[in-house]
Amino acid sequence: MTTSTSPTTDTVVIAKRPSSVTAFFEKYTLIIITLAVIAFFVFYPGTSHQFMTVSSLNTILTNMLCALMVALAAMFPFVAGYMDFSVGATAAITTVFAARLMDQTEHGFGWPVWLAVLIPVVCSPIIGLANGFFVTKMRMNPFVTTLGMSLLLYGISMLWTGGQRLSAPTGSFIVKLSTSKFLGLPITVYIVLIIALIVWYILTHTPYGRSLYGMGSSTASARLVGIRVDRNLWLGFVIASLLASLAGVLQLSQVGSATASDGGSLLFKGITFIFLSATAITPGFFNVWGAVIAGILLSVSVTGLTFMGYAGWTTNVFNGIALIAAVALSTYLGRKKRQG
Amino acid sequence: MTQPEPEYVLHLNDVEKQFGGTRALRRASLAVRPGTVHALLGGNGSGKSTSIKILAGVYTADGGELEIGGERHDLRRWTAQDAHGAGLRFVHQDLGLFEELSIAENFGLDTGFPTTAFGNIAWRRLNAEVADVLLEYDLDVSPQRAVAELRPSDRTMVAIARALRGSTDGERRILVLDEPTASLAAAESALLLDKIRRLADRGQTVVMVSHRLQEVLDVADDFTVFRDGKVVGTLVDAHPTEDELISLMAGGLVVALAPTGERTHTHGDPVLVVEHLESGPLRDVTMTAHAGEIVGIAGLQGSGRSSLLQALFGVHQPSAGSLTLEGRPFAPCDVHDAMAAGVGMVPENRVREAAFMDLTVSDNLAMAMLGEYFVGGRMPRKKEQAAASTLIDEFGVKVAGADALFSSMSGGNQQKVIIARWLQRHPRLLLLDEPTQGVDVMSRADIYETIRAAAREGCTVIVASSDMAELHALCDRVLILARGRLTGEVLAGQLNVDGLVSLVLREPATRRTVYEPETPSERTMAS
Repeated sequence: MTTSTSPTTDTVVIAKRPSSVTAFFEKYTLIIITLAVIAFFVFYPGTSHQFMTVSSLNTILTNMLCALMVALAAMFPFVAGYMDFSVGATAAITTVFAARLMDQTEHGFGWPVWLAVLIPVVCSPIIGLANGFFVTKMRMNPFVTTLGMSLLLYGISMLWTGGQRLSAPTGSFIVKLSTSKFLGLPITVYIVLIIALIVWYILTHTPYGRSLYGMGSSTASARLVGIRVDRNLWLGFVIASLLASLAGVLQLSQVGSATASDGGSLLFKGITFIFLSATAITPGFFNVWGAVIAGILLSVSVTGLTFMGYAGWTTNVFNGIALIAAVALSTYLGRKKRQG
Repeated sequence: MTQPEPEYVLHLNDVEKQFGGTRALRRASLAVRPGTVHALLGGNGSGKSTSIKILAGVYTADGGELEIGGERHDLRRWTAQDAHGAGLRFVHQDLGLFEELSIAENFGLDTGFPTTAFGNIAWRRLNAEVADVLLEYDLDVSPQRAVAELRPSDRTMVAIARALRGSTDGERRILVLDEPTASLAAAESALLLDKIRRLADRGQTVVMVSHRLQEVLDVADDFTVFRDGKVVGTLVDAHPTEDELISLMAGGLVVALAPTGERTHTHGDPVLVVEHLESGPLRDVTMTAHAGEIVGIAGLQGSGRSSLLQALFGVHQPSAGSLTLEGRPFAPCDVHDAMAAGVGMVPENRVREAAFMDLTVSDNLAMAMLGEYFVGGRMPRKKEQAAASTLIDEFGVKVAGADALFSSMSGGNQQKVIIARWLQRHPRLLLLDEPTQGVDVMSRADIYETIRAAAREGCTVIVASSDMAELHALCDRVLILARGRLTGEVLAGQLNVDGLVSLVLREPATRRTVYEPETPSERTMAS
């Protein structure tokens, strides 16, 4: 049986791959924009003298750390193609829970700080387990389920604070964590970068992470190439809640106290980072370093605007525009991918 | 030129179309006689779909003339509205029907709902009107039935009836069908083609694109064959044989579509033993497959073909019966277990269930090997790419490279990659569900050769297909499945294609016309 195909009758493959120039810009536009924004504030007369200082660098980096942690947390379900809106509230409830346990006034329990931090973090995967159960076993819509979970957690944290401001004991390690520095930068920056490195490693260099990207592309196909879709997704929700609780600890460390907050601003910033991440490094796909760059870009912009004297509302307007632009860009790139 | 009764209702002349550096159409012409079924044939990328899209006004031609009913049009300014106005009606592979809504609602959404004096929908009038239309198109169903409840061929007929609605003998409509039978089982497409034939006999002009040559041969009057953007053959009122058409499409090359015939491997060691299996529609299925054997599963849609493969692949848990793989009891909890035991499956729906469309070819291949590749704590991309390049060469996939997107390939090449994905694991048992559905003739020949080569090396292959010619060409042995039961067994060389078809048709499929709607996507993300 001979199967010969001469070159003349070959199906013509139309190579629709982007040219190297467009590929370069798709990969690095976000970095270029970030550098351009930094350059603008460095040279703009109104901000240049403030901007080029170590303290402003610290402000920029610490401003985005919590939201970046939330983004890293939500990365796992998002890469797999599922929403998790409960990460912001998970961070918030951890902050409140830990603060309540360690607060030494009559509102708190006055427990040792290390135990007060450890317990909420250890408990946090319960939230992910619940999300995973509803989404994988009960086949519930992840969008609505995690939004409901978020509201529930917000309610519980309101109950716990009782409207009081709970504070971490002054001089405790949790407060020192965000004030101590190494090579001029807060230690927390290094911690978050190490976590980002670990998340990047898991997502790109383990079968688990690769399978999440596969699930994000097609759940049905992933199931039929032997990927344990439900188990992986469940694990993704658990990791998300664990990392989100670390974001909460970081928040407590930076602020030093906790009030009932719905974690909404953390959530939306984090999601903005995630969607913007799909516009850099590996265009069309959510990725860790894209999220880090997005965090720096937004933080630089907001800090610069504050230096220029714009009022607080500009932050929300700016973040809102950034989120919409991020979704628009990542949708566009995703669509381009699909069409090839 | 303008005569009262022109010879052709539709005449495309010297159409040129260029995409980037590729000339998709070179002086292509198409002449359609009124009241005939005109078949457009050709492999993937041959230009037949491009011609249809130019007719529909989706693409704009770079040059060429169009004459419809004696009227000349400039193709460079031809739009979708012009096409509609000139009486062209298109029914695509994706029928564009709202599955959950009733037939009447589908008509209403397309052409507008009739309203009463108060502005609300005149349901009775709509239903009566649609019932008349359905009767006209031999559809014996109530307009209030949901489209999802119709049998597949009737759904296509509803789409056709909707497209042609309101056409009277006075105005001439031209119906263009793009692969109308691609997703239909053999019996269903026979029903559909019969109805299309009757439409033409009543004076309706039909242009259709199809991959299934045998069906086209039965129904078409005229043929236009495309290859590499050129028209290589026009057959008017002819009755060519399948081989003649294939040689036209393939350019006179020897194509390995002929039956394997004499080869039977039933003397090899039994690899898979299925005893009294019950799963979904399957009832008491008992069968054995041997090393190096290609076993075909013939059956109509709903006969349990796919359920059998899915049970063997651990997708569904059997409710009764036992499986033995290479002498050991085999009870996979999930796909992962089945893969570990050396089983692979190419599912029926390539786009939905096999492909990662927005990932690269290399990623698509590696996705079934993640655990194997994970060495020393990392995923070796370089090794994956190299392995992918080797597989691309080995399986003759035509693609720009290992890092090209999966979606950039033609259907036939996509299917080759999916099959390569499993063969790289050297499976003991390979399950293929409709392996060449929507695949062009040339790729089909390559895929057959690949399957035969795998079997020669000792892999046991089970092919489920509604294409009897495919089973006849490939299999050492064909089992007939009807209503979930095995009703017959045919050895290679004992029966021809027509014999197989009649065997499958003899036991009518379940008369249930309620078809399982596709499970809605679990995911809500837009991106």
